[in-house]
Amino acid sequence: MAGRANIPTNSSALIAIIADEDTVTGFLLAGVGNVDLRKKTNYLIVDNKTTVKQIEDAFKEFTTREDIAIVLISQYVANMIRFLVDGYNKPVPAILEIPSKDHPYDPAHDSVLSRVKYLFSAESVASDRR
Amino acid sequence: MDSVDGYLLLMNSLSSALRQGWLDLASARHSMGPSRVLSTLFDHKEQSAATKLQVVDHDGLKPSEPKPHFALSKWSLQEECHSTYDVSERAFTEPKMRHRGSVTTPENGNHESANTTASSTGADASNHVQRARSKALSVFGGLVSPKLRTAQLSFETALDLIVELANSRSNMLASFSQLKE
Repeated sequence: MAGRANIPTNSSALIAIIADEDTVTGFLLAGVGNVDLRKKTNYLIVDNKTTVKQIEDAFKEFTTREDIAIVLISQYVANMIRFLVDGYNKPVPAILEIPSKDHPYDPAHDSVLSRVKYLFSAESVASDRR
Repeated sequence: MDSVDGYLLLMNSLSSALRQGWLDLASARHSMGPSRVLSTLFDHKEQSAATKLQVVDHDGLKPSEPKPHFALSKWSLQEECHSTYDVSERAFTEPKMRHRGSVTTPENGNHESANTTASSTGADASNHVQRARSKALSVFGGLVSPKLRTAQLSFETALDLIVELANSRSNMLASFSQLKE
């Protein structure tokens, strides 16, 4: 079908994580850790030595890998690469912004909710004009 | 708006599960020692994730709108369960088919054996999950704090919520695309 985004059915896709050490440790305990033949992992631990470029590269890598279906990213990390996260619009992998220990979740910064909020504000402007 | 409310409720639940997990991790680190619960202990040898996702494309409101649906497969259990539950289903159906129309049918015996088969496959699945969990914990040594085990369970709960969030996001984005048009 013309114009249809291709979502391959995948029976064993991975969850990627870009977050602080404790969050990554916890999810690895839950069995999501993967290391491939080239020693590439499906997670990036962000600490005070991690550069914005490293985070950008990890985000771009995880969102282009075909074996990853969900990318979890701590919201405070997402804020460091907000332009990249907000510009991402593919259905898979799904990008989910999650809270971290020191930074609670803020719906105002969530890229998905921002899009919905924009839609509703556009709708209300359109209905006022009518 | 309902889906936004649902998303925010799920996010609230996720925050609670993660907070519990972080607390348990901190307790485990306190009892085991900080050098025993570190990211440097992670195994960097080639290994496949034990917990994965299944992604199926459900058509959105229009064929041009992709709407992926995510399902969690914890500890490779779904693959195991499909093979074992198929066996248990056959055990339930076959005795009835064999004895349909016969006067004296030892159904109770057959039902008991079918129930035993089902309970044994449930026990097998449970044993498999326990082994998989222990393997994940073994990265931090042979004897680990009970708090590390409870942290593991909290993060497993968080994964369930994350998959629900992903499906909720998928629904919202599909509706968003339709309304935009």
